[in-house]
Amino acid sequence: MCNRISTVSSSAGATLRLDRPVVAERRERALVRDAQGGSAEAFEQLFRSHWPRAYRAALLVVGDSAAAEDIAQESFLAAVRALDRFDRRRPFGPWLHRIVVNRAIDWARARALRRETFGDDGPDPAAREREPSEHADDLALGLAHLHPEQRAVIVLRYLLEYTPGEIAHMLDLPRGTVNSRLRRGLDQLQDAVEGERP
Amino acid sequence: MKRALDAIPADAGAEERAWAVVREAYARREPAVRHRSPVRPAFVLAAAVVVALAAAALSAPGRAVVNAVRKSIGIEGAQPALFQLPAPGRLLVSGAGGTWVVAADGSTRRLGAYSQASWSPHALFVVATTGNELATVEPATGRVHWQLARPAIGFPRWGGTRTDTRIAYLTTDRLHVVAGDGTGDRRLRPSARVAPAWRPGTSRHVLAYVDVRGRLTIMNADRGVATRLSRPYAEVRDIAWSADGKTIALAARNEVVLFEIATGDAHVVHVGGVRALAFAPDGRLALMRGDGVLLVDHGHLRSLFAGPSRLAGLAWSPNGRWLLSSLPAADQWVFVQTRGGHRILAVSHIRRQFGSEPSLDGWAPEA
Repeated sequence: MCNRISTVSSSAGATLRLDRPVVAERRERALVRDAQGGSAEAFEQLFRSHWPRAYRAALLVVGDSAAAEDIAQESFLAAVRALDRFDRRRPFGPWLHRIVVNRAIDWARARALRRETFGDDGPDPAAREREPSEHADDLALGLAHLHPEQRAVIVLRYLLEYTPGEIAHMLDLPRGTVNSRLRRGLDQLQDAVEGERP
Repeated sequence: MKRALDAIPADAGAEERAWAVVREAYARREPAVRHRSPVRPAFVLAAAVVVALAAAALSAPGRAVVNAVRKSIGIEGAQPALFQLPAPGRLLVSGAGGTWVVAADGSTRRLGAYSQASWSPHALFVVATTGNELATVEPATGRVHWQLARPAIGFPRWGGTRTDTRIAYLTTDRLHVVAGDGTGDRRLRPSARVAPAWRPGTSRHVLAYVDVRGRLTIMNADRGVATRLSRPYAEVRDIAWSADGKTIALAARNEVVLFEIATGDAHVVHVGGVRALAFAPDGRLALMRGDGVLLVDHGHLRSLFAGPSRLAGLAWSPNGRWLLSSLPAADQWVFVQTRGGHRILAVSHIRRQFGSEPSLDGWAPEA
């Protein structure tokens, strides 16, 4: 089968790529293969392309920038250790995200057991790169009110854009549980966001 | 929503700090050498091991060959950490470092500070004990459903159907059974310190246990009616049901005995010192003794694996292709392929990963 790649121009003059997932998957498989063969450049490309979402996912689940950095970094170190055994037919991103999110849940749960609380201010705003929108601030504050497991499914669904079925597989949960956590999480998030507004 | 989540501020310096660490780890790694030979070295090594083990059964010189092979078996080339399981499913382990669930991709989740655990019949839940407390836990979240305080709890085992389950456990010298929802805890009969075993494949709650005189006993846990299945055996170490619930095996000091429930027939395997038993889903029975694992397959006994030191624990993969055991002295786990190949995979630094040398509490299919 031929995976057709076509381009069209948008009304704004930018170029839109179709079939991008196919191209990205092929490119990623090639990067994994080269990284397995010892190409530091290929491995850096893998790291650079996956770090932002891995780190942000961890940050949104644990709400602590230092912990999120540790979690994402440890997940990449796990990737290095497992690189030679990694099956190139599988996509790298979901495998990495599964490790990140499960570690983030563990961390958040351990912190809860130590009777600490998720920061009332939402994710730690350390070293802000840019001014967040008002909506983003509300969302960050709202996330702080959810359980780590609810934050995890919301992050997987709406930041990393996995389907409920994929999330169920990643978290070892029944699909119905994922759907109910999403529904309850969104309801609570809405209540929290509306509650934060003047 | 995605745009808003993407807009939540993050630490821009984190990426460069992490990259410095990850780059260093990548640079230290040695890429695997991929052989293109049609005859793979791992297969040759595994074949050599099988041949050597067969020789050991025949002669004393053969035993020397085995000893030589043992030292060069793949255990020396063990993976430095558990990166993934060789078969689908979830592994449950417990020890001083707590109870952990290991997913097929190698990711681990600590459920809590429990010392023993086992899966529910369909692996939807875990029953675990801290010693003086019994708890049922969700494996994906660690959420505790209920707890029960009793002194010196050990060997919790969960059986039943999807809709009606029972949990058996031992206190100091007594067998107890409680419903899966934590109600109706009952103190039943005196028992030896051997894990009880629920009969699979039946809607009745039929429990096998070993009484204080070493007799294998079958009991309807709801009615309390018990039937002795055997004479007393010395030093009973373990009992296990076949997956179809038709056979139960007992490991004693001098023999392993297989009881056919329908006929009452007992088949004796004259092999002593067996410390653990485990039936594969297809009916093969693994026996662990000393530093080796034997396999009873269609009535024939053969050696499956001989390790360099004493083994501990047995767990079959849900697909019955792999058998896991532990080498505590070497701080390693050993996965032995029993179907579709003859590979032996070893993993090191188990204590570092789980905080202690954990017991193997079960390898269950994905929920």
